[in-house]
Amino acid sequence: MPVDLPAPIVRHERLNPEHFLLTLEAPAIARVAKPGQFVMLQTRDGFDPLLRRPMSVARVLPGRRRIEILYKVVGRGTRYLSAQPAGACLRTLGPLGNGFRPPAKGRRPVLVAGGVGIAIFPFLADDLRRRRLRPRLLFGARRKADLVGLEFFRSRRVPIAVATEDGSAGTHGFVTRLLEPLTRPGAEPAELYVCGPTPMLRAVGALAVQAGIHCQLALESPMPCGIGVCLGCVVACTPDAQGPIYRRVCTEGPVFDAGAVVL
Amino acid sequence: MSVARRPAGGARAALPARAKVDLSVRVGPLRLKNPVVAASGTFGYGTEFLPYLKLADLGGFVTKGLSMRPRRGNAPYRTCETAAGMLNAIGLANVGVEAFIAEKLPALRGHDTVVIANVFGETLDEYVAVARRLNGAAGVHALELNLSCPNTEKGGLAFGVSPPVIREVVGAVRRAAPDLPLIVKLTPNITDIAEAARAAREGGADIASLVNTFLGMAIDLRTRRPVLDNVVGGLSGPAIKPLALAMVHRVHREGGLPIIGMGGISGPEDALEFMLAGSSAVQVGTANFYDPTAGVRIVEGIEAWCRKEGVSRVADLTGTLRLPPGRGAASTSA
Repeated sequence: MPVDLPAPIVRHERLNPEHFLLTLEAPAIARVAKPGQFVMLQTRDGFDPLLRRPMSVARVLPGRRRIEILYKVVGRGTRYLSAQPAGACLRTLGPLGNGFRPPAKGRRPVLVAGGVGIAIFPFLADDLRRRRLRPRLLFGARRKADLVGLEFFRSRRVPIAVATEDGSAGTHGFVTRLLEPLTRPGAEPAELYVCGPTPMLRAVGALAVQAGIHCQLALESPMPCGIGVCLGCVVACTPDAQGPIYRRVCTEGPVFDAGAVVL
Repeated sequence: MSVARRPAGGARAALPARAKVDLSVRVGPLRLKNPVVAASGTFGYGTEFLPYLKLADLGGFVTKGLSMRPRRGNAPYRTCETAAGMLNAIGLANVGVEAFIAEKLPALRGHDTVVIANVFGETLDEYVAVARRLNGAAGVHALELNLSCPNTEKGGLAFGVSPPVIREVVGAVRRAAPDLPLIVKLTPNITDIAEAARAAREGGADIASLVNTFLGMAIDLRTRRPVLDNVVGGLSGPAIKPLALAMVHRVHREGGLPIIGMGGISGPEDALEFMLAGSSAVQVGTANFYDPTAGVRIVEGIEAWCRKEGVSRVADLTGTLRLPPGRGAASTSA
């Protein structure tokens, strides 16, 4: 069951000009969180911004008392958040959402990250490794500076392939280029775990559906409440005879099968 | 400080720390254990909040608006944060009245709180049908009519913007659900909200709840498109509180119907201000989104304020706003 608690900031580290790693003391959340779940995080007191922000749980630290959140400053909320010092207390509601499913038997987990979508994967990578499944990481970003968190995966000997849109690191182009080998006949069967901007989810999802590869997409959406009551965060799902079906990203997601959503 | 002083607002000194404040209120035929009610569309069907609070600690809650058939609502994006507020255009998505009665209502029995079913329709007949269905449903304690729905038979104009239509719908629902207290939720998107309240009273309403959301819009300058797929939506949150207070004050001065006030209430002070302006109870809406415990926090804050101010019965506060001399009737227009 999710809880709402005041979580003290234990550590707040600037990874580069835009990316931050936040460590919160939140035992009741850390104890029960699963990979792919998120929290609704207050960014500061008062009415600006009014709403909390949904943030993936990047990692549960050993001891299961603390969680890490990796985020990029993209707007007002994250800008205010980035100014919060260690010691400050942020209302944190979670863990929320369905989280990732383990891979189907015999499938190699492949984590596919776009930009700050990497934030959801450290937790999943640790969890998969504990299950003796050997995840790989395909990481696409605009430029080299956006490839944050690589150290974490390297330290765990997760094989990494990188693509950048400007060619400043790894393969020149989108992350989908790194996926092409998986779609060839005879390739090792894979279970894709994908998180990133919507155009990237759309492209990877379409490629996976076409190639018949299992694919779980972690979605992002403007989300006022996080607990299923405002109905604001819905995503369009495969329509039925009566027309479009909408599902809540907060409670029926944030993880959906690629074939189930219309992005 | 040890200096004896008169409390800033009241004539009495603080109540003893253990003294009981009577938080119960009567709103027309409705009795609530405290004046704080969770607003429709912000509280689901109630059980979603069980991890965060006891429903019995609230005065009551209003369900998501119910129509005859289930509705799937609008395409995304449906919401957008704005300065001290948010816009929504959910499109009245709900499970439908039958599923509400069969699947949601049973889970609410046994929670000692007042359940108010919010009702809407696209036609007069649909309002009547939903109300009739709820009239006998065990566990529903009152109806709240949402008149902000577009009237598909009258060119899509909202029911609530025309006093004759308000009178007609309220009258028809009154006859269809004679056993339940009838609350009419008024839209602020009208020239004179007091006229709407008068029409609701003439139709047979017991209570007016006000205000619903204000029509608003947000534009994404980068794409030069409206943010909401529906183009426009309803504005709620602290941004609308002064607008809502003025409307509650106006309807209260006109008299006629007990009021449940709402609009941007986020803390106990807001709720108390709405009571001074003439509300017998209040609804808390958008605050439930960013603080799922908002309702109980506000109840506790009201009790603490009453104790500090020497108010032994919260119901005594309703309509006790102190107007400057000679500012009676004139205080409803700028």
